[in-house]
Amino acid sequence: MRTQRSGDLPERILGGPVLWTGLAIMTLFAMGPFLWALSASLKTRAELYATPITYIPVHPTFLNYVEAWTSRLTPFSRFFANSLWVSSVTMVATIVISTSAGYALARFRFVGKNTLMLVFLATQMFPAVLLIAPLLSQWYALGLVDTYQALIYSNFSFTVPFTVWMLVGYFESIPRELEESAMIDGSTRFGAMLRIIVPLAAPGIAATAIFAFVSSWSELLFATTFTSSTEMRTLSAGLLYMAGQYEVQWGQLSAGVIISTIPVAVLFTFLQKHLIRGLTAGALKG
Amino acid sequence: MNREASVTVPAPRMLLSRGTRETLSNYTYLLPAAICLGGTVLFPIFKAIHMSLYQNVLSRPQDYRFIGLGNYLRLLHDPTFWLTLKNSLVWVVFSVGFQFVLGFGVALLLNAEFKGRTFYRTLNLLPWIIPGVVVGLVWEYLYQPNYGPINDILRRVGLLRVPIAWLSEPVYAMAGVIFANIWRGIPFFSIMILAGLQAIPDEVYEAATVDGASITQRFWHVTLPMLRPIIVVATATRIIWTFNYADLIFVMTNGGPANATQITSSYTLLSAYTDLDFGYAATLSVVLLVIMLVFTACYLKFTKGVESVSG
Repeated sequence: MRTQRSGDLPERILGGPVLWTGLAIMTLFAMGPFLWALSASLKTRAELYATPITYIPVHPTFLNYVEAWTSRLTPFSRFFANSLWVSSVTMVATIVISTSAGYALARFRFVGKNTLMLVFLATQMFPAVLLIAPLLSQWYALGLVDTYQALIYSNFSFTVPFTVWMLVGYFESIPRELEESAMIDGSTRFGAMLRIIVPLAAPGIAATAIFAFVSSWSELLFATTFTSSTEMRTLSAGLLYMAGQYEVQWGQLSAGVIISTIPVAVLFTFLQKHLIRGLTAGALKG
Repeated sequence: MNREASVTVPAPRMLLSRGTRETLSNYTYLLPAAICLGGTVLFPIFKAIHMSLYQNVLSRPQDYRFIGLGNYLRLLHDPTFWLTLKNSLVWVVFSVGFQFVLGFGVALLLNAEFKGRTFYRTLNLLPWIIPGVVVGLVWEYLYQPNYGPINDILRRVGLLRVPIAWLSEPVYAMAGVIFANIWRGIPFFSIMILAGLQAIPDEVYEAATVDGASITQRFWHVTLPMLRPIIVVATATRIIWTFNYADLIFVMTNGGPANATQITSSYTLLSAYTDLDFGYAATLSVVLLVIMLVFTACYLKFTKGVESVSG
């Protein structure tokens, strides 16, 4: 049999020069803006506002990072800590809530289960914008404006539906017989879930956990609307706040951009495989 | 006695009460998620409907009163609202259209076999995973008239003489935010389509090759038809998402200059956040919700129900 991909002339051109040119353009386009921000974050003040523009810093310095991190007006160390706390608590709580719900939806028969799954799917598409006004007045009424709780609870509105949806799939792929035999041996349903199913689904749970963390980390609208004092801002809200200050300090701002990007970029490289599987599962039928 | 353990060996006479009890205990697993979504999604939606019936401007608490459909009437006569609908259409069509075409191209590239494919795939993903505020600020910087590289490059290659303040000119501002949004959204399509491409069995291509189909014929008659389901799902999800996506505009232009980039979702945000007009913001939210539900219903009908979504 012929090797299948050595075919005709257009095919060989497509596999050679076209492929490599395409990859080069794609990578340059995707990475260009980051490289610019990285370069700007390492420039001195004089170089940032010099003409003509330089693309590679002449005298690279970490001063912008130090200034952004320790600034009293826009304290990035504080923003970072806030983001870390809000995202971590959201992540842990989301996982507890979604594991329980995902397990139930995968294992038990309910009246209206399909409707419920549809609700979980639909809520994933609900825009944060739609919830801003009612949630803000709700947090006012409960006295939660400018607290971590308001941000964490609001984040549930997008983390919970997605993680439940993904976890149902993971739990369904684990055979029922495993926990049924544990239950015959005298374990409770809940105990069997914790000791048998959760460890088996650990990779899936970890992936959804990272998803919850990263999406909370990136969240902007809730963080901007539901906090008012500088020391309560997360990185996203803090960056926007910084950009709205006096004259924009592009050096510090670029340093802030890099500081906010690195954690999610690192986490996402681990998550990639699972996330893609979760995203495409619905569309690909199994 | 451990009542959960005995569920697998039920005594016939106890069946009903056990069954009821089991059902109740089963529902407790769902309770935390139900409370969360009830408190942060469902209740706020009802609250928004309720709020939309009141005149409620936070800065004028003395004017708070029930006005029935007053906000909806105001909306019908608000030229800005109709402008934002038109802008939303432009925003969605151009963003999603280009994201799809370019994402398809990237997926075809990444589907080829070459060394370092995972590495390229990760690089390609980056624009999609970073926080929206980062995308907005970096692009704002790129567009900056005096210190931004876009004007600099265009001048160096001789396409521009005088720098353009892309985001402050009503003519260019929408194109500017759309371009940034395209950059951000390409990876979504490339991931989805790549997954679709990899799910097409090699035998199908082999059979087509044996039958003498050229590479272009294989693309039009094998690849595209087999990708149809995933293209429909990806595009529909993306249209809804883009329609509602306000972060980028909020960061880059806040709807300006002179509402040139104001889409309906950013207008909602502006009403709540800047005007503090909660009644009107809630009204806009309800309208957004209705548009979204209608679109989703059409889409579900088009793809023939839940099965094709939950797969």
